[in-house]
Amino acid sequence: MAVRILLDRVLVERRMSLAELADRVGLTIANLTILKSGRARAIRVSTIDSLCRELDCQPGDLLAFEPGPSDDA
Amino acid sequence: MRALGPGSVSSLLKLVLDVIFFALWAALALLLVAALLALLLPSDLAFWGRIEAHGARGAMLSAGLLAFAAYVAVVLFITQRVRRIFTTLTMGDPFHPANVARLRNIGFALAGLELINYGVNLVTGWVFRDEFKTLRFPFNPTAWFAVLVVFVLAEVFREGARLRSEAELTI
Repeated sequence: MAVRILLDRVLVERRMSLAELADRVGLTIANLTILKSGRARAIRVSTIDSLCRELDCQPGDLLAFEPGPSDDA
Repeated sequence: MRALGPGSVSSLLKLVLDVIFFALWAALALLLVAALLALLLPSDLAFWGRIEAHGARGAMLSAGLLAFAAYVAVVLFITQRVRRIFTTLTMGDPFHPANVARLRNIGFALAGLELINYGVNLVTGWVFRDEFKTLRFPFNPTAWFAVLVVFVLAEVFREGARLRSEAELTI
């Protein structure tokens, strides 16, 4: 997928573990792992809202677009 | 009325399906035993006179019973698939990907039942051609419509399974 999730980088910058983030935003570690590894097909706006709130960042800090072939093609 | 749990429509349907399933197994076993007995018993026994139909006895009666057993076996196959689909429903996951194949198999089995029906009617019409003056060909549009409905439902479930997998990967 051309959209990359930069959750790893933001977590390192905030010195926060995945388990701690999962606890704060109310998601399971399994779901956050799917998100972090780029296997997620879609992200709810409410999830982005929670992540940005807890990580004190903007949506653009979590997502990056890298042009490339689409998975749907 | 609740959709799931004790006292719901699904619990009643599950009971009906279970009764049908075990009754079909019993019927299949009885038919196979009867078909075997029809082959093994000597043809000069007095009781043949009581169960004789259109002169059929021995091997011919056994073939008829086996054809009926095949019909029951296909109905059993369908019932088993419906029970499995029902199990996924009671587990709260009716759009499991396996249900698509199950519904398609049910559609093929229903079509097979109709074809068995045609085959049996053609064969009996030929074997007993002296007694049945006209050849019977029981075309049943309702049965073929049911086959069509099941295949449409399979496609609906395929889309449901796709949406389910998308929902699983929506965070």
